[in-house]
Amino acid sequence: MSASVGFCSRWFISTCDRWLVAVDSKQDREPFVFDCSTAEKKPKNPSTDGDEGGAEETRSDRILAFAVSPCGNLVALTDDSKRLILFRCEASSWRCISVRFVVRRCTSLAFSQAEDQLLAADKSGDVYSFSVLNPDQDGELKMGHLSMVLAVTLSLDDRFIITSDRDEKIRVSCLRSPYNIQSFCLGHKQFISALLVPPGHSQRLVSGSGDGTLRLWEFESGRHLQSVDLRDLMDPEKTDNDNEKEKRCGVRGHRCGVRGHCVDHLYSVFTGVLSVLRVSLVQFFSLDQDQLSPHSRLTPPHQPLDVTFDPEGRLWVLMDSDHSPLQIYTHRCGSWQCDTDSPDLTRVSAAFRIHWDKLDASVRTASRFDHLYVVNYDNVSEYMKKKQQRLDQQSQKRNLDQKRRPDAKKMKTPTANS
Amino acid sequence: MTSFMPQKRYYRQRAHSNPMAHHEFNYPVCPEEMDWSELYPDFFTGSSSKNGTSQVEFADIGCGYGGLLVELSTLFPDKLILGMEIRVKVSDYVQDRIKSLRESEPGSYQNIACIRSNAMKYLPNFFSKGQVCMLLVACLMMIMMMMVVVFLFLTPDLKEQHKWRIISPTLLAEYAYTLRVGYVHTFICTTEIHSSWWNGAKYFYLNTHWYFLYMHLYRLCFLPTLVSMFPGRVGTRRRI
Repeated sequence: MSASVGFCSRWFISTCDRWLVAVDSKQDREPFVFDCSTAEKKPKNPSTDGDEGGAEETRSDRILAFAVSPCGNLVALTDDSKRLILFRCEASSWRCISVRFVVRRCTSLAFSQAEDQLLAADKSGDVYSFSVLNPDQDGELKMGHLSMVLAVTLSLDDRFIITSDRDEKIRVSCLRSPYNIQSFCLGHKQFISALLVPPGHSQRLVSGSGDGTLRLWEFESGRHLQSVDLRDLMDPEKTDNDNEKEKRCGVRGHRCGVRGHCVDHLYSVFTGVLSVLRVSLVQFFSLDQDQLSPHSRLTPPHQPLDVTFDPEGRLWVLMDSDHSPLQIYTHRCGSWQCDTDSPDLTRVSAAFRIHWDKLDASVRTASRFDHLYVVNYDNVSEYMKKKQQRLDQQSQKRNLDQKRRPDAKKMKTPTANS
Repeated sequence: MTSFMPQKRYYRQRAHSNPMAHHEFNYPVCPEEMDWSELYPDFFTGSSSKNGTSQVEFADIGCGYGGLLVELSTLFPDKLILGMEIRVKVSDYVQDRIKSLRESEPGSYQNIACIRSNAMKYLPNFFSKGQVCMLLVACLMMIMMMMVVVFLFLTPDLKEQHKWRIISPTLLAEYAYTLRVGYVHTFICTTEIHSSWWNGAKYFYLNTHWYFLYMHLYRLCFLPTLVSMFPGRVGTRRRI
């Protein structure tokens, strides 16, 4: 995804293409903008220079993922040039602490709750741990999946790393000894793109997958508690004149992402937000002990690209729109209402639009999920067909032999019995 | 009609298969959903006394033509043994072989089965945590040890080490997950490995942690627990 949003205490953070834009939502201040193309380049290694020449050309500085630390004063991002950049946000200023290099392009980042390490999951399925305290130290290999890791998160007590991959698996490993696998959460039927340990429910895990379902787990034991099929939630909305094609398109669009969280103090229930890409809908779920139930939904005017909660519990939605890419929704009187004239919104939008306008419309909506759907190919049926042919031929030949030389059968039978 | 013993010449296949490719596999979503009764009809639906309660405890990953599988079957008649092989023809050979063995000697060889699967991807789909007490990974020679020692018998290639080799430092965690705690897990290596990768792997999982014990084949010979050494029968000796 080329654009995403987040909150770091009161700073609104967004990444679009190669820019990181941080805007103070409360005060009129100069926004912090970081352009990845100006960052330090990887020192060239003369020995590998020759064969990497071609790859160098195609590399862009697009930001692939970013993460905000739980306390909200550290931000890390990773880009297409395999950089891992760490920022510290102090009361009013931003500082780039370090630029490190990763081995492969990263897919997901996560800070530990103690904020002493930063986990980076990459395309080849490895998870590296980078020290926050020693910002120049190289990453240490923690664990690895066979296929691409798509999401990494930590349990609230920092005991477990939870990783999900393209091969339908969620792995729960101990953080201190990652070779020790606590459990696997198995049940999804496609890649798993999103993980969330809801605050206030330290034993639960919500996962979102390309198969269109949202599942609830007790991650320590790997027990599957509930599955919500998003297609069931969508279909009643569709009217009859939406033909079959439209419906299929809707199903294709269920690349869900659980993103952001907020504890709703009014009901003391967790409110997770699910942004269904390609469909103009944001669905809320409430989590009550072992039950994930659809709560309410939003239909933004444009296709939502990403959503985030701010510290006050308001929902910010980034949409695929030229004029008003951002919108705020507030929870008032039991329902979510659009807050159009918030001063925060105007402040953030003004700074954000400068970079948003530079983006090409096709780049904005480019989905990172399209290529993740696994297409199996069949290498068995052809072999089985050939084998059957061979067996048929053999039995035919045997029959012919027997007809031709009836005594041959007599010769054969005793040997077969012995 | 009794099925004939399969002839190996029809099942030859080169010794490599890409484990990263998305082949069509049949695998259960989770271990609880696996239907073992198809593979071991006698143990699950037959008249056997341990009806339905037994579980697979031995796994031979990369079982090849199934020589070790057949050998183990008679040695441990009450243990369920599963062979996993990724190559289409080879796994089909083992399946045919087991079928014909079962038909030629009714009542025996009921405890072995072979499935075509990618163990690197789907091991946790078949086995729950700590289910397996003996895991044989890419076995070349047949070595038996006393049951207290559970072992991984490894033959890492001397070629370049990649993530998609069956033994990679990060994949060991998954093997450890399926293995039962309480046994001594031994890690045996047939060839002297000099590559830096291997040293890295050793430090990553073997030396620093206590899951596996690194053991060289020559040193193994002095172990009192070594019971017997079988001659490799099917295509194993040739390769060494």
